[in-house]
Amino acid sequence: MPAEPALEVRDLVVAYGRTTALCGVSLSVGTAEVLALLGPSGSGKSTLLQAVAGFVVPSAGTVRLGGTTVAGNCRPVPPERRDLGVVFQNYALWPHLSALDTVAYPARRRGVGRPQARSEARAILERLRIAHLADRKPAELSGGEQQRVGLARALARRPAVYLFDEPTAHLDTHVRGVFLAELVARQREAGAAAVYATHDAEEALGLADRVALLSEGRLLQIGTPQQVYDEPVDLFAARLTGPASLIDAPDGGGTVLVRPGWARLGGPLEAEVRAVWFRGPHSDHLVAGPLGELLVREPGPPRHPVGARVGWTLLRSWPLPGPTG
Amino acid sequence: MRGGGSALPRAGATAAVVVPLAALVAFPLFRLVQVAWQEGGGDLSGVLGADGLGTALRNTVVLAAGVTLAAVPLGVVLALVLRRSDLPGRAFWQATVLAPVVVPDFVLGYSWTQAYARAGFTDTLLGLSWAGVQGPLGVWLVLVVNASPLAYLVVAVGLAARAEPDLERAARVSGAGSATTLVTITLRLVFPAVAAAAVLVFVLTLGTFAIPQVLGAPAGFSTVTTRIYADLSIGGDPASFVEAVTLALLLVLVAAATVAPADSILGPRLRAARPADAQAAHPVPGRQTVRRAEAVVLGGYLAFSMCLPLAALALSSVTRALGVPPTPANWTLDSFRGVLTVRTLEALGRSLGLSVVAATLLVVLGGLVAVAERRRAGRATASLITLTLVLPGSTLAVALLIAYGRWLSGSLALILLAYLAKLWAFAHRPIAGALDRLPPAELYAARASGAGVLTAVRTVALRPLAPALLGAWLVCFLTALHEVTMSSLLYGPGSETLAVIVLNSSELGRIGPTAALSVVLTLLVAVPGILLWWASNRLRTRAG
Amino acid sequence: MLVLAACGGTSTGAGSSGGAGSSGGAGSSSEAASPEALTLYTCVSDTTIQPVLEAFEKSQPGSTVDLFRAPTGELNARVAADVRSGGLRADVIWGCDPLTVQAFVDQGLVGGWTPPGADAIPTQYRTDDYVGAAVLYLVAVHRTDVPAPRAWSDLTGPDYTGAVAVPDPSVAASALGALGWFAAAPGYGLDFYRDLKSNGAVQVKTPDDVTTGVAQGIYDAGMTTANAAYAARDDGSPVDVVWPEPGAVAIYGPVALATHSADSQVAQDFISFVVGADGQRVLGEAGSYPTRPGGAGPTVPADAPIVFPDWATIGQSRDTILSSYQQLFGG
Repeated sequence: MPAEPALEVRDLVVAYGRTTALCGVSLSVGTAEVLALLGPSGSGKSTLLQAVAGFVVPSAGTVRLGGTTVAGNCRPVPPERRDLGVVFQNYALWPHLSALDTVAYPARRRGVGRPQARSEARAILERLRIAHLADRKPAELSGGEQQRVGLARALARRPAVYLFDEPTAHLDTHVRGVFLAELVARQREAGAAAVYATHDAEEALGLADRVALLSEGRLLQIGTPQQVYDEPVDLFAARLTGPASLIDAPDGGGTVLVRPGWARLGGPLEAEVRAVWFRGPHSDHLVAGPLGELLVREPGPPRHPVGARVGWTLLRSWPLPGPTG
Repeated sequence: MRGGGSALPRAGATAAVVVPLAALVAFPLFRLVQVAWQEGGGDLSGVLGADGLGTALRNTVVLAAGVTLAAVPLGVVLALVLRRSDLPGRAFWQATVLAPVVVPDFVLGYSWTQAYARAGFTDTLLGLSWAGVQGPLGVWLVLVVNASPLAYLVVAVGLAARAEPDLERAARVSGAGSATTLVTITLRLVFPAVAAAAVLVFVLTLGTFAIPQVLGAPAGFSTVTTRIYADLSIGGDPASFVEAVTLALLLVLVAAATVAPADSILGPRLRAARPADAQAAHPVPGRQTVRRAEAVVLGGYLAFSMCLPLAALALSSVTRALGVPPTPANWTLDSFRGVLTVRTLEALGRSLGLSVVAATLLVVLGGLVAVAERRRAGRATASLITLTLVLPGSTLAVALLIAYGRWLSGSLALILLAYLAKLWAFAHRPIAGALDRLPPAELYAARASGAGVLTAVRTVALRPLAPALLGAWLVCFLTALHEVTMSSLLYGPGSETLAVIVLNSSELGRIGPTAALSVVLTLLVAVPGILLWWASNRLRTRAG
Repeated sequence: MLVLAACGGTSTGAGSSGGAGSSGGAGSSSEAASPEALTLYTCVSDTTIQPVLEAFEKSQPGSTVDLFRAPTGELNARVAADVRSGGLRADVIWGCDPLTVQAFVDQGLVGGWTPPGADAIPTQYRTDDYVGAAVLYLVAVHRTDVPAPRAWSDLTGPDYTGAVAVPDPSVAASALGALGWFAAAPGYGLDFYRDLKSNGAVQVKTPDDVTTGVAQGIYDAGMTTANAAYAARDDGSPVDVVWPEPGAVAIYGPVALATHSADSQVAQDFISFVVGADGQRVLGEAGSYPTRPGGAGPTVPADAPIVFPDWATIGQSRDTILSSYQQLFGG
């Protein structure tokens, strides 16, 4: 029998009044594993995290943390007794507390004295290189700084599982990368599991060990980033994880999915360039031919103007299972 | 309007605060000071050195502090239980808690003696009576019961406006239990509203008159306000009048000395930006045993503090005389016949119109001050407008008469001015409690989308503030509707309010007609009141 | 609608106030500024004043009375405020006790005129400046389940220990009149109040509070006005009324002409009517005690003893009497 997963969710159903936000979701996260929850807004990512944290009571199904059932039995375990750290999308910093007192808060709740809790908090702030912000209130912090304080607070809890609810949604792009690197490094350092909710495919694929795709409260697919990118279960899942084109298979085997890097310009198939985007290290060409329209990614600057007739080669493709549009 | 228009609205907004401030607060107070100064002359020390004034002053301040210390926590508890838990039948409780607001003070005081004093309800039924109800303790208790709905309303409005469940969730998931979260997070978040409630209750109690008069007199318990009343009642000579004015100004000084520091210390600290995506708070589900216990305690409190006294009141309104058993054989509708005449119905229409106009203007004025005090220059306005709240109704009415009687004596306009001056702080504090965390970005976004200042406020700020505005409107409306003292001093031919007519027709110490008035007013406001709360609940739910 | 009406009132009021407030009465009610209108300030109860006004307006067709009726405290405040904002707006003041009206005389607001028919009113009810139109009697009210007091001094006895209520003379002028009379009366004096206090008597604010408390059953007996006591009894409250020895204390309510309205015929007519036979009859039928002898009025038991306070003395020594009293009963 392998060790218990850090987090296990089975057949989880959450309903708010008449609307069902989660509809029978099951998944598990192993120790030191990062699971990304990828889905558009309203897909149930936040609800799943809230059910795991104990902010909402599921109507059915179970949540287990480290082998203990925390929801789904008669008496749900309240949030404060679940071994979790949560980083919120809107930071959720308390307006009346300084950064230092915010980060000291979890230790205080463990019963640690104020001086001790503060010195622990200061150490965490130093590790995140924000010790100079210790005395500031949230209103005096930038978004990135606030979110680091939020992360520090979650770290101070020293939990077995972290829940990240779109923590970068309100951050500038350049702050985002730094914050993400920080977040993953700290979480790995602690050897904890993490669930990371996001609607950004690049973020999810780049950071997670596994990715779970959610749509309308249901789990579409779960697998390694490469699995979900290369072998999406349907067109929706494919579009969720990145650009994808649907064309008729050259061998006449029905419709197939082609990622931008799965074809190159030059070759036997004919097409006309419809649009071109320069993207720095590479360029995207939208070409249209008898098989349909597809996006082709080439290294370097664009080589063909719009309207030019070009040849192209299909390197690989993925036949979508089941009926597709 | 669009191009160079930004200076004009700003000047307009400043004028909109400064002009009413001068007209409703500064000028009337100035006239009172003038009277005390010119006519009192050197005798100021004579007034202030009078026998028993020290005791009365101490009684007043201790009473105000004691009532604040009890009524505000009570209001906070009521707000948390009624607004943040999924207590069954919340709508009913929420309406019931407000009942004392529609009962005139002196009737409320009477209803307590009817319920608990010798030969009262409990004495007749159980042989239990409480002599202390007519004494300092009784005064304190009834004032606490009377003030708690106000505190509840202000705090509830604050809770609704600054409900940010994620902040509480962050505490829970940091290891804080629900009680710890309440103390370390929730209460700190509603602190501006709690502070607002405390200031209101304190100042209101400083200036309260009827309950100390009715319940305190038998125990020889005197306050500054009862001394003012005595000064006005006896003699009619200028010396007594100047003494009354001087004592009223003394109250203003006490209010200024306590409120202004509180405002200047608390004010800037309370500002914090609300996150842009703050959600509405849903009632927090709780354990059934806890809810049941809450319901029992709440029910017990309401039964003791309101239901029993108000039942006594309702029974007096249908019983033909005081001191006869309130059994069906002794029931009569005479009191209601006294209240529901053509003359009173006319006055009722006038009172309703006056209260609606006053409440609406007050919400606008209160909102203006709430906005003004966010600027450095406007900080003191909030403290200034509480100064007229502390004046006992009789003195404020006198101040307005002295200031404007020349032109407005006996007109409805003067009564309206009196309501505006008296209740301005009532309207301002709940709105300020809700407004100070409205993110300016939302207004800027509306302006950038082509909305003028007023449109921006109407379309963007009104929705999140709706509970506060409705709450402020409601409390002003209810208070204005049954106001007695000021209108009975200011009215003239054709401007009699309902309370004036009923009070005039019920001399000879008859409680029945006044009790009937309270019952009629209660029914009259219960229906729209419940509708309003329902509407505000709907708004709040939809905002989330 | 309200605002509009208010604005209209403002502009007309401002226009007419240019005349240095020579006739405040006219300024207060611009539409009714005909010579036949007068403004009356009174504290007499609504049930009495309405029939009297009706009868007056009927007897003098075309005359109208603008009424401001309020308890004494509010009335005093209104007068004081009027004086400081352009002058008294009343043409006639009808008070509930001589002390208040005398204070207005001392300020030069009213007085200097009594109607020719005033001679018919007993001398103890009038001066050169005002004439009494109605009387309040301070009597004893008691629960029917306790013995009726025969004399005021009975209230200091064991039948009423801890259950007597008296009105506060620093708030109610009627109570002050009683205090003044008892203080000077042989066999009573301030000792009467000392004995009341040591018998556990309780001081409430007004005579009406006494009636309410006794009717409710909080107290067994007390000192209150005859009107209120009889009204409670007639309503059915378990109380009865006694005119105790040496007498019910008579407090008369004077009516006086404002000095600035000295030339107002309608104001003089009104005062003449009120103290005249017709006015006194209406007043008596409406439930008040008339001052004119022989007129019909509410209940006065046969041979009821009545005493008359010396108002001039009380007015002069008010502070002294009050402060001695307050040593006993507190503020």
